[in-house]
Amino acid sequence: MSAGFDNDVRLQVYRHFVDHGEPPTAAQVGQALGTGVEKAGAAFRRLEQDHALVLSPGTLDIWMAHPLCAVPTGFWVTTARGSWWGTCIWDALGIPAMLDVDGTVETACPDCSEPIELVVEDGALRPAEGVAHFAVPAASWWANIGFT
Amino acid sequence: MLAFRSEAHVDRWCTARRLPRGAVFTLDQAWRLAKAWYADRLAPDWRRRTPAEAEAVFGSVGLRGSFWKLS
Repeated sequence: MSAGFDNDVRLQVYRHFVDHGEPPTAAQVGQALGTGVEKAGAAFRRLEQDHALVLSPGTLDIWMAHPLCAVPTGFWVTTARGSWWGTCIWDALGIPAMLDVDGTVETACPDCSEPIELVVEDGALRPAEGVAHFAVPAASWWANIGFT
Repeated sequence: MLAFRSEAHVDRWCTARRLPRGAVFTLDQAWRLAKAWYADRLAPDWRRRTPAEAEAVFGSVGLRGSFWKLS
């Protein structure tokens, strides 16, 4: 199957995820593109191999289409276009960045559990107290993309 | 990547969880990284960055050094 088809699948996944707040199934993508579930599912697997999607282990269920996450995390993002879970603080901020909209990220300090609210307004991050921390060096992120 | 109230909170959390202290940077850097990384994600011609391209994005927001090396 062509890279062009895989990119069509990728774009359909993002369109659905943005519009509906949750990722599509392979059957839904196959129906939308008129190719059927098997071809769409095979594209899911190729896109995962290319790190363009993350599937729940052993399934065709989309776990992450970065920066969007299908399962609850510690990062809730609200915009005028909708609301989603972000995978991490980078991805949570990446949602308004990807959509080119303002938005709010709700999270909490892992150490003290105090809420942290980050506001993107007029395309800029409103100054806020806090720092970001990456625990894992960049070269090892994909060894366990669920913990970075 | 997590957000903490301060660098002291990062240190305390890493010690309590027996996790190595990684890279700490500002929330503004995280925002600029998010914009540089994700602004083109919905573009029809998006493709995964090469390691060198990814390192260039990290460097563009001041994230440099061995922690950020991919190649």
